[in-house]
Amino acid sequence: MNSSGSVSGGCLPLAFLPEGTEGIVLEVQGGQGVTRHLEDMGFSSHARVKVLKSCPPGAMLVMVKDSRIALGRGMAMKILVKNIEE
Amino acid sequence: MSEYAENLRSAFAQRRYERIASIVDSTVIKGRGEIFTLTDMLDQVFLNKHLGIPIFLTVLWTMFQFAFAVSEPFVVIIEKIFEMLGAWSGQAISDPHLASFVSLGIFGGLGSVLVFIPPIFGLFLALSVLEDSGYMARAAFVMDRFMYRLGLHGRSFIPLMIGFGCNVPAIMATRSMDSEKDRMITMLINPLISCSARLPVYVLIAGALFGAAYAGTAIFAVYALGIVLAVATALIFRRTLFRGEPSPFVLELPPYAVPDASSSILHMWSRGRMFLKKAGTIIFGMTIIVWFLSTHPWEETSGGQVIAESYIAWIGHAIEPVFQPFGWDWMAAVALLFGLVAKEVVVGTYGVLLGAEEAGLGEALVSQELFTPLTGFAFMAFVLIYVPCVATIGAIAKETNSWRWPAFALVYQTALAFIVSGVIIAAGRLVGLS
Repeated sequence: MNSSGSVSGGCLPLAFLPEGTEGIVLEVQGGQGVTRHLEDMGFSSHARVKVLKSCPPGAMLVMVKDSRIALGRGMAMKILVKNIEE
Repeated sequence: MSEYAENLRSAFAQRRYERIASIVDSTVIKGRGEIFTLTDMLDQVFLNKHLGIPIFLTVLWTMFQFAFAVSEPFVVIIEKIFEMLGAWSGQAISDPHLASFVSLGIFGGLGSVLVFIPPIFGLFLALSVLEDSGYMARAAFVMDRFMYRLGLHGRSFIPLMIGFGCNVPAIMATRSMDSEKDRMITMLINPLISCSARLPVYVLIAGALFGAAYAGTAIFAVYALGIVLAVATALIFRRTLFRGEPSPFVLELPPYAVPDASSSILHMWSRGRMFLKKAGTIIFGMTIIVWFLSTHPWEETSGGQVIAESYIAWIGHAIEPVFQPFGWDWMAAVALLFGLVAKEVVVGTYGVLLGAEEAGLGEALVSQELFTPLTGFAFMAFVLIYVPCVATIGAIAKETNSWRWPAFALVYQTALAFIVSGVIIAAGRLVGLS
């Protein structure tokens, strides 16, 4: 994983969250356009996300703020989350 | 809060959602714990790793069945009405020149165009229902893995599906894509997706040459050829003209809903309208030109009776040598030439050239031995690939705001058509087909 150094332990890209688990968004990396787009769709920091479907290398389906969002792998790598146990 | 100072927007988004959450908390009563909704259940099946793609293919097949089976009776009604109008006007008008113009040029032309309206609207209705029910977004999700390998992503998939109906609304549908490169690739490969206007040509040729038992297989093979070529060209374009990774895929999957009849019909209308516009202007105008060229000079053709003496025959013989290596005669040359305008004109042109009604056209093709199964299949492939129709070229020009890309599409597709048909003929002869 070549994520930036500012990231502390316990966080991982959303793409690596296994199906059925939940996480909290810590940071959205990438250009302003991408960040803005993702924030508008609900991926703002502290938002709770749940992975509904994940079938690598295809897209993943994530539940955030009560809506279902399909995310490409590339996009899911840009969202850093903290894995939380139920 | 200083982290927000850097990005005011992000703070606003954050606040907006906090506000929403507080309103929801104070107004909505929610049972705590897991709620397994209908949408969740359906997604378990439709987005299943193994079942997703087979289900999607079944839906696709059903959609085509629906579009063509439901529209069949309407097609027959339209055919009959225009046959009657043509015959009646041919008799009722005393001046033979005018009678020929009205019965063959106007009613014949209009009839040959209007028969496409039922299947096209049927297909658009099916597509609208799929979109409004929420399934289309799931199909994009399921296909994303596959599309990614092509250097595209799930979003390109919906325009390609619409392309089966008509490439014009499909090219307009690429507007929803945010990456310019992805959009260009999707637009340029779209004409290779066999639109419903090309189907009558396949039906005519395959029906006449392969018999009822194999016609369906031959038609399916042409559709498949189009998809394979679209995939191959997408890969090539991604490696050459539009280098780079496909843009990230984000798509909200709406909850499933029972489609609302009026909104589905409205949806169908807004797409079908584009075809109607094209049919009413370009195609209709062109069929009148075909009529003129095939019945003039009026004296030499003894009033439009002897096609061999018409302008169209001159043109056909002039360009025949280009197609000789493929085993196609001057009529095929003429049909392809007029098909530049709209591919459905190929059938109408054969109708005029062979002097047969649509129903008897297949027999006329066989009795005159114009094609062997091999040259016929190569012809079908050629019709699939060569130049997108005028309306599609216009749509690409409008969407890219330039004439460079439509010109490029025209050149690359025509070259591809010659290559693919040549390969089919060469391969066929190699294994001993004539």
